[in-house]
Amino acid sequence: MNIKRKKGWEIPESQATPETVFRNRRRFLTAGAAGALALGGGAYLAIGQGGDAVAQAQPDPSAGLYPAPRSMRYRLDREVTEEKVSTTYNNFYEFGTSKNIWQAAQKLPIRPWQVKIDGLVAKEMVVDIDDLLKKVQLEERLYRHRCVEAWSMAVPWTGFPMKALVDIAQPTSAAKYVRMETFNRPDVASGMKASFYSWPYIEGLTMAEATNELTLMVTGIYGKPLPKQMGAPIRLVTPWKYGFKCIKSIVRVTFTDERPRSFWEVSQGSEYGFWANVNPRVSHPRWSQASEEIIGTGGKRVPTQLYNGYGDFVASMYTDLEKSGERLWM
Amino acid sequence: MPFRPYPLIDRAGRFAPLKAAVFVLLFVPGLWTAYDFAMGNLGPRPHDEATHEVGIWTLRFIFLSLAVTPLRELLQWSKLLAVRRMVGVAAFVYAFAHLMLYFVHQAFDVVKVASEIVLRIYLTIGFVALLGLAALAATSTDAMIRRLGAKRWRRLHQAVYVIGLLAVIHFFMQSKLNVYEPTIMAGLFVWLMLYRAVVAASAAARKAPLLVASGLAIVSAALTVLGEAIYFKLMMNVPMARVLAANLVFDIDLDPRPGWIVLAISLAVVIVAALRQLVLRRRPQLQTA
Ligand code: HEM
Repeated sequence: MNIKRKKGWEIPESQATPETVFRNRRRFLTAGAAGALALGGGAYLAIGQGGDAVAQAQPDPSAGLYPAPRSMRYRLDREVTEEKVSTTYNNFYEFGTSKNIWQAAQKLPIRPWQVKIDGLVAKEMVVDIDDLLKKVQLEERLYRHRCVEAWSMAVPWTGFPMKALVDIAQPTSAAKYVRMETFNRPDVASGMKASFYSWPYIEGLTMAEATNELTLMVTGIYGKPLPKQMGAPIRLVTPWKYGFKCIKSIVRVTFTDERPRSFWEVSQGSEYGFWANVNPRVSHPRWSQASEEIIGTGGKRVPTQLYNGYGDFVASMYTDLEKSGERLWM
Repeated sequence: MPFRPYPLIDRAGRFAPLKAAVFVLLFVPGLWTAYDFAMGNLGPRPHDEATHEVGIWTLRFIFLSLAVTPLRELLQWSKLLAVRRMVGVAAFVYAFAHLMLYFVHQAFDVVKVASEIVLRIYLTIGFVALLGLAALAATSTDAMIRRLGAKRWRRLHQAVYVIGLLAVIHFFMQSKLNVYEPTIMAGLFVWLMLYRAVVAASAAARKAPLLVASGLAIVSAALTVLGEAIYFKLMMNVPMARVLAANLVFDIDLDPRPGWIVLAISLAVVIVAALRQLVLRRRPQLQTA
């Protein structure tokens, strides 16, 4: 499949980014319902425990690593999304199903933080995030980010290629996939108390995808450590796939010969699959993916590109798979 | 013909405070959303947010119009009937605005909007509901009642039950993973419909509306709990026992499960109605026709 990548020297169009104030989307059904809730909720309030310790505001020990040098290889065809916009509009179901979870996410303690590396590796290990950061070279990359919900943004991630992590892990030749897992902390992430979702969040990549040059383990953004709502202290970014593949706040990386079943695949396999490559011609069952709204621009809509415009880097991984009938696009 | 501000006066041409108040209130959510939109308070995807906001109010208005008849009986408040058509017309206006916002959100791409309505079942369903509301709004005037005859008019306007059902289905289907609010609305819909059915079927029930309403509140809440478990089983293959058990977990961080909300809202209505009946019994002069 052949697609054209925007040339690096193309000048991003100017788009005014409005200042936005956010408010909670939660609402009562009717005015009358409020009273009813107060009545009905009495017992529930009495029984409930409100003892969540808000995470101590401690300085991030990795702060000195930022900003990292920007790689000029990855260019944008649009303006970088304003920090205030992208850091306050986040899907992070561990903290609730609305986009307005950035405050709730501040409860997540991100130090100490360890990542377990196991499965088909020469030697299982547990690495401390700050030790890991010493072993890798951080760089900044400008990537487009396309959410499956037909919106997008463009952000300056800081991180290191996942290839570097794979090299540290030294998987055996039997490893075909990498399975990644988010923290499991219902005590600080109240969305995880919704017992009927399949926590913790799982995502996975093939070894080829994991070692693709685009695949980034992200630890920072906007020249600073990653904020918690965006998946601190370490998350995945695969810019040619829909955003839900980019698992946040990773605690475990497992090399395996079995294809991992992700959180979304388990929850709604008919709509969200393993591959989830961006393709404007293949609709989500409930909406078209042909175009996307760039957030923070007052509704500007642009055509979506195959592989989110990263086909030159990734399309070759899928040429054989396409014939095999894999659902590459959802 | 002199100018007659229908929303503000009764049949005799006198100022009608209830009608006037409801008339004004019906504008509030729309104006509020417009204000938030204008002030940039709707987040980084304002059209999407406004579509959602107006959609949920459309549904609420449909529900309120469906609730008028039961509330009139339960509250012994016959004047309520005077606002039913107004609420129904408002539901149509909001539904239309909802569609227009979707249109704006799709960057005025008529072809896309049309093809999406055809391709996505939840949009087709919403569109049918909108057409239904349009038909009811168009026939909402006194002149139309006269032209159709009261009997045919009533039969036509019974379509609102189907419209309510379609609206709830649309709400369910547009949800991503979280069907919390649609489940609550479905439970309340069941309560309203069961109440009508029981009262229509039994003369004894008509004599004890409060008893019927409270009994059905419990039934509807139970059906909500069961329906939620079945939904999660069918859609996400979650064991029913796990979803049922969630109803017994009380945690400040979690919203009460939909069954509890349905129970709370429907019982609250019953309690208010009971209090009002007590007052009316003491001071019958309050009850005006
Ligand atoms: C009587 C008719 C309708 C009612 C009562 C209704 C109600 C609703 C409700 C309650 C929501 C969810 C709001 C939320 O979660 O905050 C919604 C969402 C939506 N509705 Fe409607 N709607 C109707 C007709 C339509 C029509 C005709 C269209 C367009 C063709 C439409 C398009 C949408 C869209 C695009 C969404 C958002 C879906 C998403 O975010 O994925 N609706 N509607």
